[in-house]
Amino acid sequence: MILRIARKEMTEMVRDGRFRAAGAIVFTLLAGALLLGWQHYREVSAQHAAAQKATRDQWLRQGKKNPHSAAHYGVYAFKPKVPLTMVDRGTDPYTGVAVWLEAHKQNEFKYRPAQDATAVQRFGELTGATVLQLLVPLLIVLLTFNAFSGERELGTLRQLRSLGVSQTDLARGKALGVAGALGLLLVPAALIGVVALTAASGQTDMIASAPRMAWMTLSYLLYFAAFVGISLAVSASAPSSRSALIVLLGFWMFNGLIAPRAASDIAKAVRPAPSAFQFAQGIGKALQGDGHNSASARGKRLEAELLKKYNVDKVEALPITLTGARLQDGEEHGNQVFDAAYSDLWKTFGEQEGVHRAVSVFAPALAVRSTSMAFAGADFPQHAHFAQAAEEYRRMIQRVMNEDIMKNAGSTGVYMAGGDLWRKVPPFSYTAPDAGWVLARQSPSLAILALWCAAAGVAAMWASRRVQVY
Amino acid sequence: MLEANALAKSYNGTTALHPLNLSIEPGEIFCLLGANGAGKTTTINLFLNFIPPTAGTAKIGGLDVVQQPLESKRLLAYIPEQVMLYKNLTGIENLEYFTSLARGSHTKAELLGFLEEAGLARADADKRVAAYSKGMRQKVGIAIAIAKKARALLLDEPTSGLDPKASNEFSELLKKLSGQGAAILMATHDLFRAKETGTRVGIMKHGHLVAQYATSELGHADLERIYLEHMHD
Repeated sequence: MILRIARKEMTEMVRDGRFRAAGAIVFTLLAGALLLGWQHYREVSAQHAAAQKATRDQWLRQGKKNPHSAAHYGVYAFKPKVPLTMVDRGTDPYTGVAVWLEAHKQNEFKYRPAQDATAVQRFGELTGATVLQLLVPLLIVLLTFNAFSGERELGTLRQLRSLGVSQTDLARGKALGVAGALGLLLVPAALIGVVALTAASGQTDMIASAPRMAWMTLSYLLYFAAFVGISLAVSASAPSSRSALIVLLGFWMFNGLIAPRAASDIAKAVRPAPSAFQFAQGIGKALQGDGHNSASARGKRLEAELLKKYNVDKVEALPITLTGARLQDGEEHGNQVFDAAYSDLWKTFGEQEGVHRAVSVFAPALAVRSTSMAFAGADFPQHAHFAQAAEEYRRMIQRVMNEDIMKNAGSTGVYMAGGDLWRKVPPFSYTAPDAGWVLARQSPSLAILALWCAAAGVAAMWASRRVQVY
Repeated sequence: MLEANALAKSYNGTTALHPLNLSIEPGEIFCLLGANGAGKTTTINLFLNFIPPTAGTAKIGGLDVVQQPLESKRLLAYIPEQVMLYKNLTGIENLEYFTSLARGSHTKAELLGFLEEAGLARADADKRVAAYSKGMRQKVGIAIAIAKKARALLLDEPTSGLDPKASNEFSELLKKLSGQGAAILMATHDLFRAKETGTRVGIMKHGHLVAQYATSELGHADLERIYLEHMHD
């Protein structure tokens, strides 16, 4: 019975010129966005691979120089592009994808397209995520706003009722019918996506992204199902198709346009993050008195500690080179400062994320946005995970350089090291967290989506039971 | 087959139907006459459980329509003034959909047979109903009733606006169905058809069933005279 209703709903929709036009537009945009994403991914990952190789070559071929100069020369670390970012670029345009790892400083990320973008572009960028989060729900609204009210207005609802069709069966059948019609659009689009993913990343990477893709798909399915339920519930309880459409468009705008904006404003107001300038200034203040300056109190304390450790009475008698020890001490002091500053900053960002999650209780778009970018590998926690790995690599380089100075520089003349030392630093390699890591962080958002879906389903059943034929 | 016991309906203190007692047996065609707003449609809607009664009960084949809304409907077919169909589906697709929702399962040949029985031209069965005339829609409605083997028919001015030939064909179909044992309740303004087709007529006024006659007792002229007398305040 339900299947029969679903089949008829689908037949009707497919024969309806409006659905065909709207469906063609959404499909074209979605497929276009995926292909653009694919192209972007290919370009960026090629650039990334080339740049990663170039920075490594430069490091290895920097010739003979003092290890500390090499540390200042530094290397770049590039955030690997996860294939699924072709669907959702997440925060990458804002957080950047490359960082310069040099002595003394934990740098900010570079290559942030959003820096060069105008405000209008915030609305303009076409990604799969935009289409899925904004346009597909709009299509659902347009397909279902008159599901019940339209049949009542037309009079077919009376005929259905006179046949002894249960109202909830009707609601279930209609839900399934919309699902089928959407499937006609989304399944081919998803196939294009999978093919593009495989083409871009190769089969092994594709298999590795499968769990992320499955979770991402699940979160979108929950989101769409919630929209179908809400639309059916509104259509069943609204006095007319007109009012159902107005209510649903209102909700769509609140959900997709107003709530996300409001959430970031609220988050900024409740948990303000420092501006980049303030943040840099704060670190500058905390760093005062670094390892180059032996006159500082810290320098003296270091000397005293070293004399005691090696049981000698003057600096000249130390078996190690003091400059190296001072540099490493300065690094360690800096590291403490950076750790404190960044953990404060990231804590603030985490709290802002909490505000977004709270708002997503009222607007499922925020929840699906969060899960989508997270499973795509482009949310802030995964950015922080990479930043952490890059920073550890930076600290390792500094340690290797400084220990070499301690051991080999001696106390006179200019010390130079060469390729052997540079090769002691392994190339930077980074493994992104697996789907389980993301899932653990995204379970609240997934739960909110599941809750929306369940509540919308209950509302649709409840409202369909109360539909009046007049 | 169709039975009303002190069936009444009022809206916010305005009475649409005063307690009505009525029983229609298989093979009977009961025609409800009366001005607009006299309570004819209200009566039919109460039998369909589209609106809840304020008092009394309506039963179809002994099943209370409020207590057993889905079961009681399996016995009946409903043909409104305009049989409304899904315009993007063809006549036969509409029939197939409606009959399958009524838990029927028919082959295409059977469905075509029902449409033919209802008088729809074979060529029209595969056209989308957006292009159908009212008469063609009513025929699909009849075909649904035939396919469902309905034992009770509720008809709300089904022939208003039909041309005389179509109206005549419709009446013939009703007679055939009643001959097969269906109990039929029809609201109509067509006194001539009521006399021709009906076995009994009832005249409604301000929510009261004011008079009932067997059509065999009346001539055409009598029915019109009696009707106008009742309408006269």
